[in-house]
Amino acid sequence: MAMNIRYVARETGTNLRRNFSLTLASVVTVAVSLTLFGAALVFAQGVGNMTARWKGGIEFIVFMQPSATQEQLDSVRTSLEDNPEVTSVTYIDKAAAYEEFKQLFSRSKDMIEAVDESAMPPSFRVAPSTSDADVIQALGQAFQKKAGVREVVFAFETVRTMQRITRIASIVIVAVAVFLLVAAVLLILNTIRMAMFARRREIEVMKLVGATNWFIRVPFMIEGLVHGIVGAAVAIVGVQGLNWAFNRGLSNNRDLKIFQGFVITGSQMSFTTLLLIGLGCLIGALGSGIAVSRFLDV
Amino acid sequence: MIKLENVTKIYKGDVPALRDANVNIDKGEFVFLVGASGSGKSTFIRLLNKEEEPTRGRIFVAGKDIGSLNGWKVPYLRRNIGYVFQDFKLLPNKTVFENVAFALEVIGRPSHVIKSQVPAILELVGLTKKVDSFPGELSGGEQQRVSVARAFVNRPLILLADEPTGNLDPATSVGIMRLLDRINRTGTTVVMATHDRGIVDTMRRRVIELDKGHIVRDQSRGVYE
Repeated sequence: MAMNIRYVARETGTNLRRNFSLTLASVVTVAVSLTLFGAALVFAQGVGNMTARWKGGIEFIVFMQPSATQEQLDSVRTSLEDNPEVTSVTYIDKAAAYEEFKQLFSRSKDMIEAVDESAMPPSFRVAPSTSDADVIQALGQAFQKKAGVREVVFAFETVRTMQRITRIASIVIVAVAVFLLVAAVLLILNTIRMAMFARRREIEVMKLVGATNWFIRVPFMIEGLVHGIVGAAVAIVGVQGLNWAFNRGLSNNRDLKIFQGFVITGSQMSFTTLLLIGLGCLIGALGSGIAVSRFLDV
Repeated sequence: MIKLENVTKIYKGDVPALRDANVNIDKGEFVFLVGASGSGKSTFIRLLNKEEEPTRGRIFVAGKDIGSLNGWKVPYLRRNIGYVFQDFKLLPNKTVFENVAFALEVIGRPSHVIKSQVPAILELVGLTKKVDSFPGELSGGEQQRVSVARAFVNRPLILLADEPTGNLDPATSVGIMRLLDRINRTGTTVVMATHDRGIVDTMRRRVIELDKGHIVRDQSRGVYE
């Protein structure tokens, strides 16, 4: 079917203008819901990156001296692996430790430049079979005095609290966002319905002179997509802004050392951006799709 | 060109609008549908356009059984059928030119076709001087001319007219009938529902009379009664 692009652009433009207040309401609702969604995602990613070392039940880390010999490493590893209280041991070599260090301190370029891979301490991440804090403490301390060990670091209570709060907060925020997304779909549906009502004479004539269903529908579908995409664009700017403000606040605050590792990688940000655009399109297509299929029978 | 085989249409509430109708209309014919209000004239016309589905029976338009037509093909059927209404159904915010052009635009005709066809058809209906007027600025007769132009601009095989002179005074009606007659002479089949005794008696064309859904008379070169 020959679909005149000028025709579609003109019709869609007229619809968007004619229903400006409803269009605005749809776009704002999409923007707010997607901003919340994106912020929750970014926050969860940030905390995830920050506490990545402590994932999977890891309760303490045995850091070796950078100069530790292979024998010393093997001896610590064997005694960890043979210990019945230990479920799993993960060895992090110098290269992996340096990668992690670079990510953790990505905000302080001078720090990264000052250190190279050889200065990195290799380490063992230990997941004990018990959750009894005293047993874990005793277990960890026992390695403190072994040859080649620099220090044993235990999971902070703060890390645990952080992970818990983030989990709950993310669930709450995402739930609110989902409610708002549903509201956005309904608003778009209604806006498109109004636009179709305003054009009911045109639609009647189109049907009688033999315009195809898709020819009649496409401008309305595109109108809904525009709502979704513009809303998503606003949300992306919002999420980037929040991330920027959060990072600034953190890097200026020396007391919040724990947030040093709160970093969103570029690929995570691109993922969030793409996800928001995708969701925006989905919301717009859904709202206008329901509207045209329910209220445009031929 | 048009064939109805045992067509019955019953609306909800068991009101039969058309009962066991058998009609054969050849290409190029001019047919009046006459009868009192509620006799089934409008239903007859709406069935041909597939705005309504028959309860029983088969309808052929241009050799095709339109009952077996897929939903998505209905627009292509309608491109072969022009439709003129009692209340014109013009778009008030578009000019005369735009109203006629709209009918070509929405079936995807390229703009160079529109630019040549629309002025030609407006000349045929005698509205060359009114191309930039809005429907609100025109008389009833002029509005109906625009509506005929819109129905005919795509050169359909069939022109359906439902009481096209119902809102017009007798003198203006004569002008519209001359126009429909000219269109008929180009080979277009015209089916027109009307109450207008004077027009039917003057034109002396085929008359199909309906009474409570029954075809009670089918007469070539007939009169109103």
